[in-house]
Amino acid sequence: MASVELRGLTKRYGNTAVVDNVSLQIEHGHLVCLLGPSGCGKTTTLRLIAGFVEPSEGEVLVGDKLISSPAHTVPPERRQMSMIFQSYALWPHMTVAENIVYGLKLRKIDRVTIGQKLDAILATTKLAALAERYPGELSGGQQQRVALARALIVEPETLLLDEPLSNLDANLREEMRFEVRRLHDEYRYTTVYVTHDQSEAMTTADLIAVMNLGKIEQAGSPEDIYDRPRSEFVARFIGSSNVIKGKGLDATHIDFAGVPLRCVGETIVVGADTPVSIRPHDITLSATQPQQAENVVPATVVRQVFLGGSRDYMVEAKDGTQLRVVTAAEANIPQGSSVWLHLPPGRCRALAG
Amino acid sequence: MTIASPARAERRGFGIDLSKPVLYGFAALLCVLIVLPMSWLLIYSFSDGKGSFTLSNFVTLFSDPTFREPLVTTFIISTSASLICCAVAAPMGWLVARTDLPFSGMIRALVTASFVTPPFLGAIAWEILAAPNSGLLNKVFRSITGAGPDVHVFNIYSLSGLIFVISCYTFPYVFVLVANSLDRTPGELEDASSILGGGRWHTARRITIPLVLPALLAGALVAFLQAMTLFGSPAILALPAGFHTMTTKIWSLFQYPPKPELAAAAALPLLVITVMLLRAEFMILGRRGYSVVGGKYGQPRLIPLHAWRWPIFLFCLLLLALPVFLPYGALLNAALSPVATTFVTFTNMTLHNFEFVLFELSATRLALKNTVILGSATATIGTLIAVIIAYVTARQAVTGWRMLGFLATAPIAIPGIVLGVGLFIAYTRPPFVLYGTLWILLIAFVTIALPAAYQQLQAAFRTIHPELEDASRILGATRLKTLRQITAPLLRTGVIATWCFIFVGVMRELSAAIILFTSETKVISVLIYDLNEGGDLGAISVIGIGMLLITFAVVIAVNRIPGFGSIRFRNS
Repeated sequence: MASVELRGLTKRYGNTAVVDNVSLQIEHGHLVCLLGPSGCGKTTTLRLIAGFVEPSEGEVLVGDKLISSPAHTVPPERRQMSMIFQSYALWPHMTVAENIVYGLKLRKIDRVTIGQKLDAILATTKLAALAERYPGELSGGQQQRVALARALIVEPETLLLDEPLSNLDANLREEMRFEVRRLHDEYRYTTVYVTHDQSEAMTTADLIAVMNLGKIEQAGSPEDIYDRPRSEFVARFIGSSNVIKGKGLDATHIDFAGVPLRCVGETIVVGADTPVSIRPHDITLSATQPQQAENVVPATVVRQVFLGGSRDYMVEAKDGTQLRVVTAAEANIPQGSSVWLHLPPGRCRALAG
Repeated sequence: MTIASPARAERRGFGIDLSKPVLYGFAALLCVLIVLPMSWLLIYSFSDGKGSFTLSNFVTLFSDPTFREPLVTTFIISTSASLICCAVAAPMGWLVARTDLPFSGMIRALVTASFVTPPFLGAIAWEILAAPNSGLLNKVFRSITGAGPDVHVFNIYSLSGLIFVISCYTFPYVFVLVANSLDRTPGELEDASSILGGGRWHTARRITIPLVLPALLAGALVAFLQAMTLFGSPAILALPAGFHTMTTKIWSLFQYPPKPELAAAAALPLLVITVMLLRAEFMILGRRGYSVVGGKYGQPRLIPLHAWRWPIFLFCLLLLALPVFLPYGALLNAALSPVATTFVTFTNMTLHNFEFVLFELSATRLALKNTVILGSATATIGTLIAVIIAYVTARQAVTGWRMLGFLATAPIAIPGIVLGVGLFIAYTRPPFVLYGTLWILLIAFVTIALPAAYQQLQAAFRTIHPELEDASRILGATRLKTLRQITAPLLRTGVIATWCFIFVGVMRELSAAIILFTSETKVISVLIYDLNEGGDLGAISVIGIGMLLITFAVVIAVNRIPGFGSIRFRNS
């Protein structure tokens, strides 16, 4: 079994910790996304797993075998892994077929088997017609599929992907996203996928680890991360939450613009400035004061934009906090009007201060 | 997102750690190549013949008129050559890069031709053209005007003649810097000025020229440096005229009785000035960054020359006749005619010179043999060292890689003749008595070739994305296997090109060889110099044409490799 475990993994260059005490348990056959903005340490984490970089502290285990520690690092070629690089790293002096069978040849597999496997993977990745071309003669999407084929044909225990879709145009990216997931489901290897694109992570991953400044901010299922962010960073990075702030009144309430706001999520400390996230489409906006008494905040429309399928409002509460609200397209309330916002208590998530 | 660049610093070998031995081994090798001769140079310059400390060498250098005059002459030559080069090359570079001058590609090619012509060959060709009595141009003048046999208009054996010839083969340095800088300066910068109301000439004056000024300044420094450290042209033209430059003076100190202490003292200022000027060039060009700031840019709009197009083009051709057409014609003429200084006709055309050089002149065979041996050995060893150092620095494979890169580039600051003096002193004494063998020439040539070879191969490595190697590793190949199957094939053209370049460079090297050769270790360039002393211009022309053909073949082939465009030969 090729479960992958990171234990307190740290990588320092000089005094800066690029990866800072990262621990993560990845079960066999799962697809994990390391998600974060540029410079958050996700690529270095991937390279630590691959063995291109040695950890300053901490360990990497595959199954129960220790493969990386400050004292000893198993070289990349002996890790039974495969990787797809951001640049694809197709060797320009080899044809598509030669690129793809490179790993098999290193494994001393007989020619007949190599031929069979090659035909199979060429068919799966729809590359059969291009086998004798050179990488320089292929389009971006084709190159991406060659990289995929080259990585998969060796039937790795672990597949690592470093922003594999970032060089593709939007349509192709969408298509390849599902392709990555489909192939993963077909072969059931353990996959670690690095990306800065949250929708890519949402659509492919079993588990998302959101990274920031070298640390994992939160790890969980896509639903978890989206619906139950635990920190302001995660709330803002995934989707685009409103993060409002107020003083804690008791364990479940904050004071927001003079209104006691009931929240779920983290336990609120009385008197502490507490950030609370709520998504724009979870807020209900009405021109008249609604029936409910709880979690209703008066505000003014600052501006609104018609987006075709929906309408995008920017409203301002009494204390000057601006919130984005997405409503049905028909709800046309002019700029400057007074409105009432209903923030459903189940959707107001108190975050770790 | 990539944090790949710092990550690279940590990639060590697995298993046996070879990085330390490699680092120390190469650092030691480079120290022997550079530090040893330069230290001896320094020690000798402060010592009398018996080995005790003295300042008298420097006192002589700056007080004795036979030394002060060459110093002044060298300064005059370098300054005027530098100014002339700028005056010619800057407008020409601008015309080629920014106007609708016809056949600008051809102009560039002709400048490249004069760039790669060995300066000593150019000097000899100009001897054939403009020696006061026998010069072809003077003969033409006399036959047109009917003037008497002693009348001449051109005398190449003069200070102005020498400055002229040096400028002919130095201006390409300025041209290349200016033209490259203009090529890289995006047209939008000029368009932005136009849209704000600047006319074409106003834009040229206020935007374009200030943008290329750093390149021009750097070009002026390089031209100065070239003129200062050249040995061949002054030896050929100044000695018959009865004056010395610093390089010829240093050389003369090795004629009997040799005075290596004085030579060392005279070489030291050349070394110091070279280091200073290169440092200045680096600083000037280092700030160049401001001329190109981000974004995608289009082709510049060319300034129309209107009615002036063809006259200006013809003028450029006329100028380029001086370093290219006339000298090449003279060499061809000399090679085919019975006497170098008469015009070849269909009746007197002869292949005698070819026969003489190839079959009769015994010195040719030895020099050719030595050159081929030294060229191949230097090219092989130099490429090998450069590949390893370039790999180490490009992949930042060992800590301390920066120092290796620095050491590999350092010889660029050592003029050939200075290196010659240093090596002479270092290797005429135990434990390394190498003087009189090919080894000392090999050491000199490897040292001289190293910086350019290293820079070329580093550029070659930069075109190979490190992930290409990583991909091979993760699929199961060891580091060595990856080198063999991925890196080596991708690097092949770069390595072959570097090898050829070093070989050609060895063929052209004169200033170090002239100090270090003995009768048994003569090379082609020294042979040409000897033949010139003997007045055997026909034989020189045959060898010279061969040399030019090989050089052109290599340059044309190498220019097809991307990233290898801007290579400098070292002139000597």
